Amino acid sequence: MTPILIAFLALVILTCGSGLAMLFTRNILHAALAMFMCMLGLAGLYVVAYADVMAVSHLMIYVGGVLILILFGIMLTTQQSRENHGQNHLWVEQRSFFWSAVIGLSIFFALMYVFTRTQWELHLVGNDQSKLRDVGVALLTKYAFPFELVGIYLLIALVGATYIAKRND
Amino acid sequence: MTEIPVIYFLWASAALFATGFTIMILKRNAIFMLMGIELILNAANLNLIAFSRQDDGQQGLMMGIFVLVVGVCEMAIALSIILQVYRQFQHIEVGKFESRS
Repeated sequence: MTPILIAFLALVILTCGSGLAMLFTRNILHAALAMFMCMLGLAGLYVVAYADVMAVSHLMIYVGGVLILILFGIMLTTQQSRENHGQNHLWVEQRSFFWSAVIGLSIFFALMYVFTRTQWELHLVGNDQSKLRDVGVALLTKYAFPFELVGIYLLIALVGATYIAKRND
Repeated sequence: MTEIPVIYFLWASAALFATGFTIMILKRNAIFMLMGIELILNAANLNLIAFSRQDDGQQGLMMGIFVLVVGVCEMAIALSIILQVYRQFQHIEVGKFESRS
């Protein structure tokens, strides 16, 4: 047990544990909090996989952006007029738990089976240094066209989102 | 420097994918389903990052960054659609929608 393996195990437990907490809770605000913990654990996993650029951008985008967006969505769509039988507005209806668990577990074991049976031909080539400089250079030379395309896509998506969310009456 | 085998990352991402899929088919709230979809997206992204370590260039890393941006776009569009659905139906519970002729 090397220290990096212990760190990896702790991060996996954090990530998958908060994912399972999202699955078992029925309060949507608790699920948003669990998703926050899950995203923190994922950023840590990216650090362990030597992708520091990815970890920082993931932290900024998901914890700073998407989670705030989800919280706004939850606040704007709480059902005040619902007949509440001793429950709060954040309570979420569910389908049958048994069949969902069966489908989820079968997907999990099928993926495990495929991953374990495959013969991976792997060779480690990376070094331990930060990839920030490489990523920056690659984004402006080799991947310049996808980068611009993704920028235009983001612009179109944001304009479209504001247009769709507009109150049209 | 010791390395973590790629297969461990694959197992973690399989667990995350299965959790996200189960959330997606279990919950009835549309925002909750969207959170499950985010978990699925992040599981796939974790695979890309784990494999990018085996690559000389930065293809996996670049793909991961672009997946991140596309995920954010999807989230913004989906949440605004959910908002508009809420204005129409006064609730966002999937499976309870009825046509308003």
